[in-house]
Amino acid sequence: MKKKKCIAMLLAGGQGSRLGALTKSIAKPAVSFGGKYRIIDFSLSNCANSSIDTVGVLTQYRPFILNSYISSGKAWNLNKRDGGIFVLPPYATEAGGEWYKGTADSIYQNLEFLNLYDSEYILILSGDHLYHMNYQYMLSEHIKNEAELTVSVIPVEWKEAPRFGIITADEDGRITKFSEKPKNPDSNLASMGIYIFNKKVLVDALIEDSKDENSDHDFGKNIIPKLLGENRRLFCYKFNGFWRDVGTIPEYYETSMSFLEPDPPFSLESKDFQVMSNSNVYPPQYIGRSAVLSQSYVANACRVLGDVEHSILSTGSYVGEGAKVINSILLPGARVEEGAVVNRSILGENSVVSKGVVLGDEDSEKDITVIGNDYVFKA
Amino acid sequence: MDKIVGLITANFSINELNIIAGDRTIASLPYGSRYRIIDFPLSNMVNSGIMTVGIITPYKYRSIIDHVGAGSEWSLDRKEEGLFILPGSVYGVNNSCERFMIRDFARNKIFFERSPAPYVIVAATNTVCNMDYSKLYEAHKESGADITMAYTTAHQDDKMVNCIHEDNGKVTNVTVGVKEGDKAFIDCFIINTSLLMDIVEWYAAVNFKDLFQIIEYDSGINVQTYKFDGYVRNIFNIETYFKSCMDPLNFSVHNELFTTDTPILTKEHDSIPSKYGDSCDVRNSLIPAGCKVSGTVEDSVLFRNVVIEPGAVVKNSIIMQNCVIKSGAVIENAIIDMKNTIQSGIVIKGTTDNIFIKEKNN
Repeated sequence: MKKKKCIAMLLAGGQGSRLGALTKSIAKPAVSFGGKYRIIDFSLSNCANSSIDTVGVLTQYRPFILNSYISSGKAWNLNKRDGGIFVLPPYATEAGGEWYKGTADSIYQNLEFLNLYDSEYILILSGDHLYHMNYQYMLSEHIKNEAELTVSVIPVEWKEAPRFGIITADEDGRITKFSEKPKNPDSNLASMGIYIFNKKVLVDALIEDSKDENSDHDFGKNIIPKLLGENRRLFCYKFNGFWRDVGTIPEYYETSMSFLEPDPPFSLESKDFQVMSNSNVYPPQYIGRSAVLSQSYVANACRVLGDVEHSILSTGSYVGEGAKVINSILLPGARVEEGAVVNRSILGENSVVSKGVVLGDEDSEKDITVIGNDYVFKA
Repeated sequence: MDKIVGLITANFSINELNIIAGDRTIASLPYGSRYRIIDFPLSNMVNSGIMTVGIITPYKYRSIIDHVGAGSEWSLDRKEEGLFILPGSVYGVNNSCERFMIRDFARNKIFFERSPAPYVIVAATNTVCNMDYSKLYEAHKESGADITMAYTTAHQDDKMVNCIHEDNGKVTNVTVGVKEGDKAFIDCFIINTSLLMDIVEWYAAVNFKDLFQIIEYDSGINVQTYKFDGYVRNIFNIETYFKSCMDPLNFSVHNELFTTDTPILTKEHDSIPSKYGDSCDVRNSLIPAGCKVSGTVEDSVLFRNVVIEPGAVVKNSIIMQNCVIKSGAVIENAIIDMKNTIQSGIVIKGTTDNIFIKEKNN
């Protein structure tokens, strides 16, 4: 096996329960986003754009769509002879099998995989964040600092800080304190859940952690505080771009809608960070004679016969004659039939809003209406 | 189903289309917002279960190889079987109308000999249709013919389409030009491999001829026909190309060509969804991913990465990839080939009988 400098481990097993109906049948990284993508596309494209060619994907919750989507990894140029993409679900051994008990445990259970490639560095990523990042810059910092662990951080608004894992660092970027969701934060640098470990440091920490019965086996809660307590060389890497954990419906909605702005904070059009996706070949979109479209994103295989205003229509969605779709997101295959009106809503994959139904509330103070995948909303 | 080898004769070119084909052949002409014409026979083969496909390349093969690559979009990058790029006759084919020159089969004899398949299905690249070739095979098996030609009933006169003539239930000869109601050959047939190998040998001296020129002299070959009932259009000139491109605006044609059961596959690109601006007015048009539309687009077909600025007007036209139509420009009844920028104030108007063509800008 060819030895790698750095391989990535992508955590994609979470349910993302705060996304409610959207993650009822699929894992959060597999949730459709931006018209033709799934959330995991962003991390996988980042790997490809950072020349990281070996990626282990840890899956657990409802993995079917995720697995079939990842497939050979070809869509992200990750179908490599030496390396490539590996889906790593929990497995059984002669001693029995168990679920991944936490983020750290999922990596611990795959130490064999880490040893197979025996890379110097391990990059740990989350499969459910939106950002464009070249991990090579972070890796150079890590090497320059002679760090044992580097945590990527992003400045957040102070009032938001209590929602995150907050890093306090000295002038040189050396981490002095890590507080998980602090009530009174003394820093506004939030951990992005992106870590680079020296392999040996990671492996030793994981083995020790696995023996601790009181541990939650979580990177943020257990591993980082433990290494910090041992006075190891922990550094932060400041990232100044756009980064979102679209963990809730309002975040999902606002981040999606920001694409429709003239100069969006997070662009899908970046030449340096092409977002790749594993889409089937679909025919072009058809815009009918009676259609009225404005300020919208429309993906392939859509059929638009009604009015669409300030909305995102994902692959293969349908808006019937006389229907109105305003400030809404239609996920792949969603149908708004003749005369139906949809306002400030997210329609799940292959869901149907039947003829004449009026859905959603235009009042921006009210909650976004969400319909789950495959749901048929009848009048 | 017996094993069948597919052969696509992609080396056919014709003078009438040179203005848009340029250094491409008909096979690599853009079609339907994101496809190229070769996608139709190639996808039809794969959708019909044919996993050994040879493509006879033209002299100017760059655009075809660029497009089909290793055949992975068609699942033809395989350990066994798969896609075979084959040489075509360089000499004598340019602008002659032969689609199935004996010499092309002769040059690639080894391709047929290496496969155990008893049948070869051959398709040219000037035909747009979504066709299940296994039906052609079944008809061929049932009749016990040596060759079975697929045809459609001509809806109108066409001086370029080949006409099939029969006598006593057997095809006697093929002539150029059809009248309404004739049996129009749709440039696709099935032939017994052993017969094809024999023909290559018997007619070595006249191997510049088209396969269907020789059946007139050889009454020993049992040639039958199979009727294809679906949508099909043969492309021989600008008029038929333009019409064929516009046909999928019709819902039933669109549904038939781009059905999800037997999808037409093509080279993939990571294009982002198309963005429609505040002031856009789009009606009855086909638009692929990657476009930015802020102007007026009516009864038209756009290709990838086309920008229609606010105030630009495009009607009854085909705008190929990477074109920019600036505000105030007006385009009607035209084909704007790749990479053109139409400046504001420019008015391009063809007529429905005489389509204006703006050539590719390299």
